[in-house]
Amino acid sequence: MIRLGLRLTLGSGREAALRVLVTAAAVALGVGLLLASLAGVNGLHAQTDRGAWLDTSAQASRPTSTSDRLWWLSSTDQFGNEAIDRIDVAAAGPNAPVPPGLSHLPGPGDYYASPALTILLRSEPANELRDRYPGRQIGTIGAAALPSPNSLIIVIGHTARQLSQAPGAVEVGAIQRTPSSCYACQSTVGSGSVLQFILAGGAVALLLPILILIATASRLSAARREQRFAAMRLVGATPRQISVVSAVEAVVAAVAGVAVGLALFFVFRPLLYHVPFTGAPLAQGDLSLHWIDIVLAVIGVPVAAVVSARLALRRVQISPLGVNRRASSRPPRIVRIIPLLAGIAVLAYFDAVGKPGSNGSQILEVLVGFVLLIVGLVLAGPWFTTAGSRLMVKRASRPATLIAGRRLLDNPKAAFRFISGLVIALFIASAAIGALSSVAATNSSGGGSVGKDTLADPFCSFSTTNCPVSAEVPSVPGQVVAELSTTPGVRAVTLVHQSPSQAPERNSFGLVACDQLAKTPAIGKCAPGATVANIGYFLSNLLGHNSHASSTVWPSAQLSAASAARLPVDAVVVATDGSTGSLERARTSLEQAFPFQGGGVAVDALDPSTARLLAMIQDMTDVIIVASLIIAACSLAVNIAAGLGERKRPFSLLRLTGVPIAVLRRVVALESALPLLLVAAVSIVVGLVSAALYLHSQVGIAFSIPGVAYWATVVGGLAASLAVIASTFPLLNRMTGPEVARND
Amino acid sequence: MNPVNGSSAVLVRDTILEARDLVLSFGETPALRGASLSVKKGEVLAVMGPSGSGKSTLLHCLAGILAPDSGEVYFDGQRVDAMREGDRSRLRRERFGFVFQFGQLVPELTAEENVALPLLLGGTRREEALRGARAWFERLELDGLERHRAGEMSGGQAQRVALARGLVAHPDVLFADEPTGSLDSLTGELVMGLLTRTACEDGTTVVLVTHEPRVAAYADREVIVRDGRVTVTAAVPG
Repeated sequence: MIRLGLRLTLGSGREAALRVLVTAAAVALGVGLLLASLAGVNGLHAQTDRGAWLDTSAQASRPTSTSDRLWWLSSTDQFGNEAIDRIDVAAAGPNAPVPPGLSHLPGPGDYYASPALTILLRSEPANELRDRYPGRQIGTIGAAALPSPNSLIIVIGHTARQLSQAPGAVEVGAIQRTPSSCYACQSTVGSGSVLQFILAGGAVALLLPILILIATASRLSAARREQRFAAMRLVGATPRQISVVSAVEAVVAAVAGVAVGLALFFVFRPLLYHVPFTGAPLAQGDLSLHWIDIVLAVIGVPVAAVVSARLALRRVQISPLGVNRRASSRPPRIVRIIPLLAGIAVLAYFDAVGKPGSNGSQILEVLVGFVLLIVGLVLAGPWFTTAGSRLMVKRASRPATLIAGRRLLDNPKAAFRFISGLVIALFIASAAIGALSSVAATNSSGGGSVGKDTLADPFCSFSTTNCPVSAEVPSVPGQVVAELSTTPGVRAVTLVHQSPSQAPERNSFGLVACDQLAKTPAIGKCAPGATVANIGYFLSNLLGHNSHASSTVWPSAQLSAASAARLPVDAVVVATDGSTGSLERARTSLEQAFPFQGGGVAVDALDPSTARLLAMIQDMTDVIIVASLIIAACSLAVNIAAGLGERKRPFSLLRLTGVPIAVLRRVVALESALPLLLVAAVSIVVGLVSAALYLHSQVGIAFSIPGVAYWATVVGGLAASLAVIASTFPLLNRMTGPEVARND
Repeated sequence: MNPVNGSSAVLVRDTILEARDLVLSFGETPALRGASLSVKKGEVLAVMGPSGSGKSTLLHCLAGILAPDSGEVYFDGQRVDAMREGDRSRLRRERFGFVFQFGQLVPELTAEENVALPLLLGGTRREEALRGARAWFERLELDGLERHRAGEMSGGQAQRVALARGLVAHPDVLFADEPTGSLDSLTGELVMGLLTRTACEDGTTVVLVTHEPRVAAYADREVIVRDGRVTVTAAVPG
């Protein structure tokens, strides 16, 4: 029977060969995309692994002996919009561990820089970048320690005595070699559990549409095949024998597809390096495949094809007298949207009553809400397709609209099946973008442009609650202020002093002399007549506690300006003219004046590490949106080809009677575009609504509609999908030509 | 003038369709080798001949579906074979109707929507088109089948729906290619009876391709095609 199956598949003339060829081509496309996605995930993991050492301080380990100690301080600096990972190290013994990519530890006054940073250090003026780093460069960091070829990393050597006094410095016994599992480790490219979670979500969002594409492809030309099976039943073949023949056909096409898909992957892999998965380019060799990926494709895809073919056969009754479609099930009922509504209701409930007290309850709420939404979207999809098609049929005044609407109404579940993967991808992507853009909007609404021109160097007592007393800045000499003030482009310098009643109340973080505050309006104003103001938290941050500082009138403090000036300093605020050079010169001056006290950050911007993480998620989400839309369109294109095969006679006869090909094109386009656009719209709306409810209930941020970039990505992805659908038009021309009606 | 053996520069006044010396090959295989024919207004003409003789190809040339390699086709004084494809499509859509052997109904549409299709294509509003379509159901003894799909009807019923679709836009010429080829004799006669009666009532010219003398008997006149040429023409005995 297997031999017969092979004979029927490969030796039944041109049409049968073409059928296998088309199926194999579609499977190849799916396999190529599957391997590209897996390689992309592997590439991101490779970045994660290479960046693990940057998180060494997060898991400070007890030294095994005194001679193994290494002092370690990691921080994130910034140049323009790029984040620079700065690692300060000091060996406390001869056998102190050496980070990867370095031949030996840098001694005091020496540093290593990554190749990309080395270029920047050489090309940019010294007072804008190089002067921030004490000492001289003694080498470049090797590729093994760079998450990405363009990573900006510097490792600076100090004496143990010097570094041990720095706030935040820890003693470590070993360099971390594997990605950490701590939440705080998200600062570096490709590491941290948050990013791992996002990676997993992204992989699921992409893989599902691809698997649906492969399953769709393996069912191509089912109608023709079924007619042949009916003829075989007529001459005595048993249903079991038919199953074997069907499986052989599916395997032949799938194996050919897998082989071509593998070849496609390796041929086009160099181009994949240009895909901005996270915005950080991958290094050569990152896009590799594990043996398990190959096994998944080589064995998994043919097995999946057999299962898919078997399921397809179960939907029809093949008797010796012909093929009967099983009666189509009842139209999807409205109860299908209950889980979706329940998911929204869960998030809305917590939005109304406030977030649960414990972390566990919060996670449970989010998990239940989002799982209900994903399941609900998949279940409700056919109902939405039916509703849209009914509306289309009801309002149809053109034949194309009528035919397309009727076809969709005929089997809305099948129409939706081809794009069900898209639902999840678009939902996840829209929820993520909705959240990101709201956070970004919250921060950009803080101080306006003046907030972007003003830098603050918040010392550890301002930015952390566990700052050692030894790290306090008791005073800033007038000479330092004068030097900062004379930095080209700097307009004013303001000192924020520690409030004597610095307590839990948020509004008494520090004290500022009103004459200084007037020169740095980005952090607020004094009440009329006041000489010293009680200033609250004025920096942007992820959790949305932005105080909109520039428009805040801070309360007057019952203290003289002279008394306030004698208090320790919590932060230095520098107003600049806003030019890039001025901002970087101010940052450099701040680093020089206050080493180990963090870097200058724009009042109205997220800290560089958070901004980098958000940018990475944004890049990844864009890739997911565009890729999932195109993959869904490929599934639809395969479905169009199958649908045309079923209807080529009536369509070709319609053409004979003078129906313009444009009408048939509109039928095909509407049949595919309606569910695609409808499902995309529903997924986007639900994604954005859930993001709004989540942000409002859990984080306290008001939702704002994503910006132009998001909509441009969605519209671009949809346009590309419609182009894929339009690419089937030549097939329509060929399959419905006059010769088809004559010979079929 | 004998339209089979000769050609004329001027169409006879009541001739609606004329083919002159048509030659057409599919690759190396000749299908028509100088076929000529004329059809009068309101006439029911049967084109007969054995399988592979070229009768369907002749019908396709007359209807402007295929352009001959040489020769001329005239409809109502217009030269059809020299028209561009778009103009020929419009001609087929607006002036001709078609009935084929099988598989011509759009499976997703109901019977009445299938019948209304030519009207919708002509720009008629949907309600009006459906009203126009429904009028044909009683005329063709299809009452009650308006909402049925192609798969829910018998072959005879589907063929009558196709006939209604071919006639609904009141074409000048109805081309029927083996319209009873997939039907039993009784149903075939029912369909032919309805086809010729309604065509006669509406004054529609019918060009009917068949290889069954029983079907050809419904025509006013029959021609026989052999080896790509129209060889015999004769009035059908009353």
